[in-house]
Amino acid sequence: MNHMIEVKDIHKSFGRKKVLKGVSFTAQKGEITCLIGVNGVGKTTVMNAIMNLTPMNRGEILIDGEKINKRSYEKITFIPDTITMLPTMRIQDAFEFMNDYYNSWNQERAEELLNFFRLQKSDRIAELSKGNKAKANLLLGLALDVDYVLMDEPFSGIDIFSREQIANVFTSHLIEDRGVIITTHEITDIEHLIDKVVLLDNGIVVKEFNAEEVREEQGKSIVDVMREVFRI
Amino acid sequence: MKNFFKLLNFELNRFMKLFIILLVTIAVIQIIGTIILARSYMMQANQAVLQGGMSQQEFIDMYSPFSMIHVIYSLWFMGPIAIGVAALMFYVFFIWYRDWFARNTFIYRLLMLPTSRMNIFFSKATTIMLTVLAMVAYQVILLNIEKTIVKWLVPKVYRQDLRVVDLTVGSEYLSKVLPQGIVEFLIAYGLGLGFIVVIFTVILFERSYRIKGIIFGLLYAFIAFVLFVLPLSLQLFGCIYLYPMETLIVQIVMWIIIVGASLILSRYLLKNKVTV
Repeated sequence: MNHMIEVKDIHKSFGRKKVLKGVSFTAQKGEITCLIGVNGVGKTTVMNAIMNLTPMNRGEILIDGEKINKRSYEKITFIPDTITMLPTMRIQDAFEFMNDYYNSWNQERAEELLNFFRLQKSDRIAELSKGNKAKANLLLGLALDVDYVLMDEPFSGIDIFSREQIANVFTSHLIEDRGVIITTHEITDIEHLIDKVVLLDNGIVVKEFNAEEVREEQGKSIVDVMREVFRI
Repeated sequence: MKNFFKLLNFELNRFMKLFIILLVTIAVIQIIGTIILARSYMMQANQAVLQGGMSQQEFIDMYSPFSMIHVIYSLWFMGPIAIGVAALMFYVFFIWYRDWFARNTFIYRLLMLPTSRMNIFFSKATTIMLTVLAMVAYQVILLNIEKTIVKWLVPKVYRQDLRVVDLTVGSEYLSKVLPQGIVEFLIAYGLGLGFIVVIFTVILFERSYRIKGIIFGLLYAFIAFVLFVLPLSLQLFGCIYLYPMETLIVQIVMWIIIVGASLILSRYLLKNKVTV
């Protein structure tokens, strides 16, 4: 069995607007795959489709060779760009909620992340700053012992220090061995960590490449390739 | 099953604050109303007897003795019940939409739980049903409290004491929410449950197909309504004749079809079509 997420020819329209016109790519376990594209290109839609949070019009998505089902949520987690807990909850309540429903919840890791991000269990989610909300959101996703982590714009709208702290997660043991799919505009913070890049434009994959190979063989950065493809 | 109960507990806790506010509001208005009505009756009685020269018996013959009937047919009593019903009706929609539209994206979390998505549906429906039952039970307690207040304020000579059972049988509205027999209870609350399940299906249509979904949902609700009233309508227009027991059986079959179809549709929508 291949340990990977396979996105096969997915199509999605919102009304008359075709957002995805046959997107296909794979994301291996143990690799960081970055989905890149301009705003509105359908990156979040792809993430939502993988998690069965938005139905596709056509196509197939397989996780370790299986279609997503209720058991899949114990091996894949999605960290959207806004927190997925009630604002009235304290972080402690969120921990209890996650512990109640997920067998993959790892309390030790949650505590470790809490210290790493310098958050308090007594913090109420509604009262957290934007940066701390992003950290809490990341914490809740990463404290699950899952094989795949999907992150949608984890650096969106947060200050440079919080961004640095979040970027440090990618070099830590919290990520290693997992398959990560990330969408971000702030590529510079994690460029050196990305294994694979999927460039999306106009509803299709315009280029898919191994970041390390491009770096070593052609001496180009991801941003250089982006400039070539998007002709910016 | 374990996840259903966890979700049910979670939903009940989320509603608790609002529910307690609702219960307190109902109690305060009804109790104030009971006091005002009883005092105004006694004021009228005292004026008539002490100043108007009327005997107590003449007053009672003319105005009838004060009883809880005076209270339960007043706006002071029915108003809060209407508020409660309106609040619960609102909550039938709010229980779903808050997860999409509030200051969070909690629907992401709910849909990503490693459990059947129908557990979300059942926990929300059970929350509404339990709340309705709790509110009815609370109303029975309140009726007894209000009866005691009337006893304190109105002397026995001016008062007619009625049991709560007599009050509910005598009131057109209360007899609906407090049925006297198990069959009536099952019919009343079965209808309520059917209504909730159909409305939830309409909401899921809307959450799946947005504007088109409103049309599909309304169409579905209309078909469900027509199916349910069809046997009664056919009888009314003389197309068929059924004995009461046959009518009941046909209505039960229709209810099973409607609720069953709603559950199958809701399961399909939640599993395949609903969108964040």
